[in-house]
Amino acid sequence: MSIVLQYVLSGLAIGGIYALVALGFHIMWAAARAVNFAHGDTLMLGAVLAVLGMDAGLPLPVACILSIAASCLFGILLERFAVRPFNESSASIGWMLTTIAVGIMLESLVTMKFGGFSRALPSPGVDRPISILGAGIYPQELAIPVFAVLTMAGLRLLQTRTLVGRAMQAVAFNRQAAALMGIDVNAIVSLSFAMAATLGGAAGILIAPVIQASATMGLIFGLKGFAVAIIGGITSAAGVVFAGLIFGVIEKFVEGYISTAAREIVGFSLMIIVLLAFPQGLFGKREIFKV
Amino acid sequence: MSRLGIGRALGSATLLAAVFLPQSAQADQQACIGNSGPLTGPAVFGGEAIKMGAEIAMDELNAKGGVLGQKLRFIQYDDAGSPPRGVDNTRRIALSDKCVAMLGPYHSTVTLAQAQPVNSIGIPYVGVLAASTKAIENGAEKNFMFRVSAKDKWVARFLVEQAVKTSKTGKIAFLYENTGWGNGALPDVKAAMQAAGKELVAAETFNWNDQDMTPQLIRIRDAGADTVVLWGLDREGNQVLRSMDKLSFKPVVFGAWGIAGNLGELAGPLANGVRVMQTFTFMGVQDERTKELWSKVQAKYGLKDPSEIKMGSGVADAYDAVYILAKAIEQAGSYDWLKVREALYTVRYDGIVAKYNPAFDATDPERQDAILPQYYKLTVWLDGKLLPVEQTPYARMQ
Repeated sequence: MSIVLQYVLSGLAIGGIYALVALGFHIMWAAARAVNFAHGDTLMLGAVLAVLGMDAGLPLPVACILSIAASCLFGILLERFAVRPFNESSASIGWMLTTIAVGIMLESLVTMKFGGFSRALPSPGVDRPISILGAGIYPQELAIPVFAVLTMAGLRLLQTRTLVGRAMQAVAFNRQAAALMGIDVNAIVSLSFAMAATLGGAAGILIAPVIQASATMGLIFGLKGFAVAIIGGITSAAGVVFAGLIFGVIEKFVEGYISTAAREIVGFSLMIIVLLAFPQGLFGKREIFKV
Repeated sequence: MSRLGIGRALGSATLLAAVFLPQSAQADQQACIGNSGPLTGPAVFGGEAIKMGAEIAMDELNAKGGVLGQKLRFIQYDDAGSPPRGVDNTRRIALSDKCVAMLGPYHSTVTLAQAQPVNSIGIPYVGVLAASTKAIENGAEKNFMFRVSAKDKWVARFLVEQAVKTSKTGKIAFLYENTGWGNGALPDVKAAMQAAGKELVAAETFNWNDQDMTPQLIRIRDAGADTVVLWGLDREGNQVLRSMDKLSFKPVVFGAWGIAGNLGELAGPLANGVRVMQTFTFMGVQDERTKELWSKVQAKYGLKDPSEIKMGSGVADAYDAVYILAKAIEQAGSYDWLKVREALYTVRYDGIVAKYNPAFDATDPERQDAILPQYYKLTVWLDGKLLPVEQTPYARMQ
């Protein structure tokens, strides 16, 4: 019993990371119909800048706030210079390449400046594990899925209850019509990238005490987060969070009962099967394009 | 035939001769020692360690007038951990720079890829970090691959012997990274266990970037292991220790030198008691020669504390390797690749890592490796520092 619970808890912790990355993809897609493919590197940026801030002698909260602000700025600049010029018509795909390129550049730059080693970000959440019915977990790990679910709920409120949220949905639905209704489309798209990057930076800081800050920490999570966003249905915030958490738990059970090596094979096979059965993802709405 | 035609014919004849003559005959070897190592990417510290050791040895030799009256130069190219770039750099060092010899890289995957071009070109190659067994014991009839560093086969034997001594139940598990390095060590560890009259109770893998190893460790715990031999790097080593912490599972851990970097910083007190094999360390109480080398490293590279050197073994191995090569060149009386290779088998030298007596043995393919297991050192993490085990409270348990 405690073994099963161990796999569930460990799986929720890693699934929470996938969910947070997938939420970032969802925010960008839900307004801009484009994403930063290297969104995993935004998490890396948040974590690495927080560690560098502490190296510079800043207290942890200040380092975190500055790092999140820098991540937000990164999102705005990325959208302005790497996405907007390449996303003029709905058929544009140049932004796929440019965002990946920026991600690779960012990773190389951080490797040069930050070094190759992983670095620890101190947190009271990883001092000692707590035991839940015989299964051990760090409080910080439990905070990750909780944070993902809370963010999802907040996002839901924003999208349905506020003017900005509705404007985002309107822009996603039809840019031209939204612009005709007086919505500043560019500002809304820019805002969505800023929100995704802010969330990414914060998520990076939240997970760094668990997975350590390093130049390459975002790579796998970016990829799996995107996979999870597709499985869950990228248009549904609740869908991507649910898919992320489930994906993490399934991975742990595969590792536990089959083998570590089988994890990726089973995981990605599941992704293909889900997409065959649900082309819009598990919770995605079918998108109707009127010509 | 016009004069131009004759010129062309002569030209192509020279070209043909150049292509078909044995390369060592055409090459005019220079007083330089090359190295292809990681100068960018996550393993930069490995390339830096090699550079420190090699440059300081060459400074010392050059201050005494060089080798055969010529001053040695060090040429280092970046392989970024990529085997194709390592092969490319090998050709550049041998055929363009025409160096008398080259030192090996940090990554085992790169050194494995270099073995074939090195042996076909015929340039003496001395590995100073990468420990892959097969790269040096490659079965070539005329092997130009030498090593002054650890060898996985012997590391496995060393760690297993230490683990058997420490284990109370005799139940030992192996946990390794799912890479060429980790998978290559599995047969070595199994063979070492067999030689000790035992069998592994579990063998489990993990991947780079994995952040939770509880499933593997539950299996290892349930198999009854009280000792774990670990083949991995600092980042994953930290996750292994944290997953053990979550499970309240506290086996003794013996690691290959992948966890000799910053495990102490990452895992904090959890790293205390984790044993790591090395060939050399600057940490703890230093003997006279270590003090001297450290003061030179400190002065030349502006370091403050020995703990800033993340791969001390690499510094000392490269330092000894350059001295062994210099002695071989002197004994050969020439910078010729073939003659230097022959002379390497006769070099006797009292190094900072080991006594080389002689450095290599032409009659034994296992002895293309110079540092014998008796010189391997067991170090242990204690409060963020990796100290020689005999200088810590863990000495009693060994």
